[in-house]
Amino acid sequence: MSAHTVKRRKLSPSPDNGVSSSHPNSSNDAKRTSNVTDKMDSKRQASRGKDERSAELAMASGFYKSSFFKLQMDELLMGLRPNYAKQVSKLQETLHQIKTAIENVPEKAAQSVSDAEKELRASGLVVPWPEPRPHKDVKYTMMYAKPANINVVGSFALKTGVRTLESRPVDLAVTMPNSLFQEKDYVNFRYFHKRAYYIASVAAGIQETVAALGFDVKFAPQDGDSLRPLLLLEPRQAESSQKSIRILLAIDPALFPITRTLPMKTNIRQGSSANSSEPGEPTSFYNASLRSDATVSLYHKSLYSASKKCESFSDACILGRTWLQQRGFHAPFQNGGFGGFEWTALLSLLFEAGGPSGQPVLLPSYSCYQIFKATIQFLAGRDLTNPLFFGQEVPVPSGVPVVFDGRSGLNILYKMSPWSYATLRHEAATTLKMLNESREDNFDKVFILKVDEPALRFDRLISFPRLFNGDTLRALHEQTELWQVISRALGDRVKLVSLASHPIDSWSVRSKPNKRSSQGVSVGLLLDAENVGRIVDHGPPAEEKEESASFRSFWGEKSELRRFKDGSILESLVWSDQSDESIIYQILEYILQRHLQLTTEDFGFMGDEYDQQLKNSGDGILAYSSPAFQSVNDAFKDLERSIRDMEEVPLTVRHLAPASPLLRYTALRPNGAADVVLQFESSSRWPDDFAAIQMTKVAFLLKIGDSLESTGAASSCRVGLENESSKVVNNTYLDIHHTSGVLFRLRIHHDREQILLERNLKDRTLSPREREEAAYALFAYKKSFVQTPRLTQSLRSLCTRFPLLSPTIRLTKQWFNSHLFNAQINEELIELLTIRAFTQPNPWECPSSVMAGFLRTLHSLSRWDWQQEPFIVDLGRELSPEVTENIRTRFAAWRNIDPAMNSLALFVASDVDPEGVTWTQYEMPSKVVAARMSSLAKAAVNLLRSQPHDMEVSDLFDTSLAPYDFVIHLRPKLFGNRSSVAKFKNLAEPRPEKMATVKSFVRDVQACYSQSILLFHGDERCSVIAGIWNPQTLKSRNWHLKTAFSTGPAADSNTQVSINKSAILNEIARLGHGLIESIEIHGAAE
Amino acid sequence: MKGASVQVEGYITLPVQLPSTPTFPKPATHYLYIRPHEPRIPDPDSARSLFIVNVPIDTTEAHIRHLFGTQLSAGRVEQVQFEDVPTKKRTAAADTDTNSNKKKRKRVTADDYQIYLDDINLPSTWDRKLQKSGAHAIIIFADKPSMETSLKAATKAAKRGTTIVWGKDLPAERIPALGLNRYVAHERLQYPDRGALLRSVNEFMTTFAAVAEARKREESKRLAEPDEDGFITVSHGPKLNSVAREDEMKELVDRQKKKQEGLEDFYRFQSREKRKERQNALLKRFDEDKKKLHDLKMRRGKIRPE
Repeated sequence: MSAHTVKRRKLSPSPDNGVSSSHPNSSNDAKRTSNVTDKMDSKRQASRGKDERSAELAMASGFYKSSFFKLQMDELLMGLRPNYAKQVSKLQETLHQIKTAIENVPEKAAQSVSDAEKELRASGLVVPWPEPRPHKDVKYTMMYAKPANINVVGSFALKTGVRTLESRPVDLAVTMPNSLFQEKDYVNFRYFHKRAYYIASVAAGIQETVAALGFDVKFAPQDGDSLRPLLLLEPRQAESSQKSIRILLAIDPALFPITRTLPMKTNIRQGSSANSSEPGEPTSFYNASLRSDATVSLYHKSLYSASKKCESFSDACILGRTWLQQRGFHAPFQNGGFGGFEWTALLSLLFEAGGPSGQPVLLPSYSCYQIFKATIQFLAGRDLTNPLFFGQEVPVPSGVPVVFDGRSGLNILYKMSPWSYATLRHEAATTLKMLNESREDNFDKVFILKVDEPALRFDRLISFPRLFNGDTLRALHEQTELWQVISRALGDRVKLVSLASHPIDSWSVRSKPNKRSSQGVSVGLLLDAENVGRIVDHGPPAEEKEESASFRSFWGEKSELRRFKDGSILESLVWSDQSDESIIYQILEYILQRHLQLTTEDFGFMGDEYDQQLKNSGDGILAYSSPAFQSVNDAFKDLERSIRDMEEVPLTVRHLAPASPLLRYTALRPNGAADVVLQFESSSRWPDDFAAIQMTKVAFLLKIGDSLESTGAASSCRVGLENESSKVVNNTYLDIHHTSGVLFRLRIHHDREQILLERNLKDRTLSPREREEAAYALFAYKKSFVQTPRLTQSLRSLCTRFPLLSPTIRLTKQWFNSHLFNAQINEELIELLTIRAFTQPNPWECPSSVMAGFLRTLHSLSRWDWQQEPFIVDLGRELSPEVTENIRTRFAAWRNIDPAMNSLALFVASDVDPEGVTWTQYEMPSKVVAARMSSLAKAAVNLLRSQPHDMEVSDLFDTSLAPYDFVIHLRPKLFGNRSSVAKFKNLAEPRPEKMATVKSFVRDVQACYSQSILLFHGDERCSVIAGIWNPQTLKSRNWHLKTAFSTGPAADSNTQVSINKSAILNEIARLGHGLIESIEIHGAAE
Repeated sequence: MKGASVQVEGYITLPVQLPSTPTFPKPATHYLYIRPHEPRIPDPDSARSLFIVNVPIDTTEAHIRHLFGTQLSAGRVEQVQFEDVPTKKRTAAADTDTNSNKKKRKRVTADDYQIYLDDINLPSTWDRKLQKSGAHAIIIFADKPSMETSLKAATKAAKRGTTIVWGKDLPAERIPALGLNRYVAHERLQYPDRGALLRSVNEFMTTFAAVAEARKREESKRLAEPDEDGFITVSHGPKLNSVAREDEMKELVDRQKKKQEGLEDFYRFQSREKRKERQNALLKRFDEDKKKLHDLKMRRGKIRPE
């Protein structure tokens, strides 16, 4: 595309202007979209008033975040709009034949239930009676008469459907004639029994015709409702492009008066079966279920007229359906009770009213995005348990959402339970936040990402594999009870208790439904991180008789009266925080047994095991506030004071900055030295020479050590040396054994070094090698003296803001450890990768459990296309769009200068480090390792998807050594005696020197064989080092001086040489003599 | 591997048996590539030197001396220059010294001090350094015949397939051990004795001061001397070092920029141009977005829900 020039005439719309002519719609839409976002609107008004450079400008100036959003949305819609013309032409004939077949089903005179059933059984059919099935001796009779009407309805006819992989069925509504029914048929399932007989008769009558057309005939519950079976015609060949067809039953809207089926009416009068509702209790679901059969044609008409009134109606429905589907919401009450129909019906109502003072929420002029956003806003903002009436107000049940459409007499949300409604509002609020965010475009997270994976979505999962939910009324009753017990028991420890199950599968008309298919209820909990660990629950005071009685009857013997410090005497519950089981689990175990007689065998619980995993590998520490971390912090504060008070040192201390995972709560195990960085006030007395600066540092360190020892702040200090191969990188540090027992490693930050290095970098008289060295030294300088302290500072505050951040980072580190990434991936990188799940949690809320945080981190890793995208982390400063833009530019520049990603594979930037290469440059990791990281994360997410409820956590942490070319086993003695681990904690820990030894060894080997070998190793508890040969070195090649690995003459050539693997392994074995137990070689040894 | 050519690209291929260890008992043969040293710019030593490629990673000078002196019973090695160890600069500097020393013999020059200064290092933390795999080295023999007999002996050994075991019978006390001991020593050497540290620091700082002093003296002397045309350059004021100057320049440029920005939106054309610029930026971004979408589609295929 040619660049736009500044000339004015180019800006006016002209037919040859590519932008305006190819996107007339988008410009219109963008203009409309602006109406919704008022703040943009005023800005635009001003610019619009002045000139007429309309179309493109309107679009371009709209809002930026949205311009790309809009383009993506157009693409999405284009891909999801079904091609109706094509489908109609394909289906017309089939539908017509089915219609004729239904019309030709012979009428049958009235007969008793048993006769009717017998007759149908003769033609192979089992009547899909809803529970309770009719008694043999009921007085009413069954008959069949020609349908009053047969119509195509639903999303296919309204063109509001979505093209998905499994194609949506076409709905064919068959209206039963009034003559079949008697006035009182709305009571006691009589209507539903007659209906079941009718659908079975239709099935019997058309089965031959339909079989000839290539369909299988099955029954299925309509919207998961066992009261209303429908006929499902499925194409026999799964791969055929034929759509499936659903035959629904309907009745005349006036057949039963609306007043009889209002939500608070009681229509199941005598307890016809033991566990149905008590007589006298309102049967709102039953009533609405009946009423919805009567509204088929009404809604078809009203939705049709709504879609005619607003041209973007059908697109808005596609967006809504997609959004719901990604969040696991479907029409059956087991899946939330809010599906495509409910969305469409809600939209049509919101065009009429729904606003705070009764004005419409939606306008016909809105674009599809505006409709979508306004509806989401409505769902998030308007609490519908405070009922919304269109038309006359009627009494409604409390605690459930009500959108009552007076004309049809139906609460269109009747299938929603309190929990599904709470979940929907939660999702709507999260989505609204994403839509309002100006920083990111979030399109993927709103529409593309599948966010209903329970382990990613919730903090804890409970599954009840044996609960049955195919019988709608009973399941509704049982689930409500379950929900009430759990919600009351967990109280403010949870923010959301969400139940999900699945409706019964479709079944052949010749058999009974498979009840197994509808077994299992799963409960997801969103925890409140603040309250979840509370040990003592306060109940009502003893003097409030009524409340305390209710409290006691709920909690039983667990409740005890206690007197508290403030003198109050309260009913209380006390839980244990010493147990391996979380308090949530203790509560559930107790209360489910007490109220529902469910033992631990009857339910599964997921989430605690991640905490357990962390405790096992992280010295038993879970929270950032644990004493181990606090003692390091206290020691640091003490050290800071001592350093400020030093008198013998000639320069003033400006700052002592923490720069270690130990001091930012992210060390998996709090051992080893804690890095700190000391900066003096600047002074002109420092020399301008690298070697001299290092010598001066040594002198200072010696002085500081003397001073700390003499004041008694440190039990001993010694100066250590590092990086001796380079004179321009920091060479010295001071190890301070603090009196508290904590070991600090202090380095001096001298900001002049940066200027000197930058000067060397620009100095053309230096050799390229010297300049490279300066570049590396500058990189190392920024890393250890600028970025590490900054990251530490940010994480210190983030870890206190998000209590779950520290344990999640530590568990993620353990994951990287157990997959042997330690030698290749900096731990700071892992920290950054994890933080994003907390500071940018979209499309979820900030996790309140290690499980959710950890799995979401893996999920985001698995989706990160690191070759093409930077990883941008918000560290709580200011991640403005400008900073993001800047980061993207830098990323593009890196990919430009190093397209093969030889030096830099991963680019991870944050608001405190927009350069993005601090933790990843110089092949940390190389692209091979980065690819392995991605594939391991993908494997983990796939495992999670395939076994959502019974995944073993340890599977995620098991690594296979098979893919490596050779494995070096370290001597077990280095790690102390394994068997004593449990008994003597202090003995189990390998001595720090040994830890450093293995690390040095790995570093030596990696440095010697940088061209030929890639080494993988875990942390200090890891007893293997695994290696792979660089595949490029494995080919024979011509001899060259620059071949940077050991070679020997190639077997098949006089002039070529090939890598000498056994000589290299021999060298490694000798280098690691005393460290190595054995070297195991995989695959064909040469 | 028998019967293979003993030469590749003009190098003699000398097989050397590596001593096996219990952890890796498989016998391993290492190959050294040897030829006379013929650098592009010959120096006085190159005639008596051999160039050796692919030294084992644990090679020390003792190993090389042992290989040629004892195991091949040939020439005496004077010095080994390993790759990655900067040595040339020093010899070059030494050369210029010998020239200039003729002129002014009395004074110790700043360069002399500098050479001395370069030799003052912090103590090493390794008792035995490693070579990179595939690295090369230059072996300087005592004299040319010594080098020639060594090359002959190596050729003969390569042709006959004589078994030479790397470092065999090399007195253990002459080279520090590899393996765990080496790392234990490293742990110790990382923390040098306080006295030793203090000594190096003091020595360095004194010499450093001497260098600075000598440089200053030489500079003022040079300035006081008339040049070829008989002029004396007059300099004045405290000399800013280049860093300070850079900072000053930057500040100046910044100030200039700020000045230029001064009167924005004063004239009508300014605001008009600004508006145009903004519009163009917006349009450009729209185009970029379109391109982004295109790229996205290329990468991920159609935009559709997961």
